[in-house]
Amino acid sequence: MKIRVKNEDELDHYIICHKCHTLQKEVPIADGAKALCSQCGVVLYHRDSRLMDHGLALSMTGLIFFLLANAFPLVRIDILGSERFISITSMIASLIESGYYLVGLFVAYLIFIFPLMIFLLYILIFSLMKGGKGKTMTKDLLILLSRIQPWHMSDIFLISILVAIVKLFGMAEIHFGISFWALIVFVLIDTYITRSIHLGELWTLQKQVYRSKKENPACVRD
Amino acid sequence: MCVIDTDDLIPCPVCEAVNIDKKKNNTCRRCGSAIHHHRSTPTEKSWAFLITAIICYIPANLYPMMLVDQFGSESGSTIMGGIMELWGHGDYPIALIILLASIFVPISKFLMLAYLLVSVRDPLRGEIRVNRHKVYYFTELIGPWSMVDVFVVGILAGLVHLNSVKIIAGTAATAFALSVIFTLLAAHAFDTKLIRGNR
Repeated sequence: MKIRVKNEDELDHYIICHKCHTLQKEVPIADGAKALCSQCGVVLYHRDSRLMDHGLALSMTGLIFFLLANAFPLVRIDILGSERFISITSMIASLIESGYYLVGLFVAYLIFIFPLMIFLLYILIFSLMKGGKGKTMTKDLLILLSRIQPWHMSDIFLISILVAIVKLFGMAEIHFGISFWALIVFVLIDTYITRSIHLGELWTLQKQVYRSKKENPACVRD
Repeated sequence: MCVIDTDDLIPCPVCEAVNIDKKKNNTCRRCGSAIHHHRSTPTEKSWAFLITAIICYIPANLYPMMLVDQFGSESGSTIMGGIMELWGHGDYPIALIILLASIFVPISKFLMLAYLLVSVRDPLRGEIRVNRHKVYYFTELIGPWSMVDVFVVGILAGLVHLNSVKIIAGTAATAFALSVIFTLLAAHAFDTKLIRGNR
């Protein structure tokens, strides 16, 4: 199939589905609606005229819950008359203390450093775009965000806590801490953000915000 | 005005922008990242990561994942042993979750990636009906879930740390974590453009 475009930038009106890799032409949709792939039905993009405000609000809420999830114990257990508790940071520290440097490092990155970075990046990107400043910085931050996004595993960690608790069920008395509930809210917010704000939308937004009047480069092929 | 063949369009792996494939040294027009530079060795990087992951998966199954130190006597259990133990206690859902996350997910991911890597090089006849983009999407989707066992061991080791009873992470935890990381890297290194090129 052949398509006609005036210049390379016009390709922004096309989208390649990330699931089935068919080429789709972007169509205008109503505010708050979403566009689905015509082949496999996966969500291609959303339209949200107040994406910056929504994104900023969501990412700030997410960051608050992430900090809460790290500030208090996740789970407390009474075992054989003594009490033990665990938090994300104490778990990483105990792994490193017992000589598992590599696992400790992985876990630290996957459930602490990357989630924290992702939410700080969201806040920074949305604030920069709202202020209309720092075009190249936003670009670099967006690249960094898309590089680390596949590498955070807070949701998987939440399931792991549940599995670990069920394993301890007969042995000890288990109390959930504040952080456990905060972590659940954090994972819900995080899932909502990754589902409702695609990175492609952020790039489109970035282009709209910092639209410059320079000439578009000519087409490479004729 | 120019005419582009839609088969020459490739998505940027970083920002998903649609780009024209210039056959060599592609850089994304929107974010400037390189789009699969290694055209002469398209599958080698992914193969290397995949083989490393498979090698790491062997000690992950042979060594104990978790050591229970009870009043000075140590007993370890491997991944499979742990699943059997849970099944024996009647914790069927947990046994199934661990079985799915630590045995089924990694092995199916190895097989699917190996299939993808072989099939883009030597397309077999009659296999076109399998939508390989969906296979790839599926491997990306299930990949991180095999970390469950590593996290569980980490949590238990952090929690149960008393004078009388201690749970210690085993050698297999490191091997398993490495195996998961390398499979994720192998999946990321796979060039999805190759799938269409062989259609």
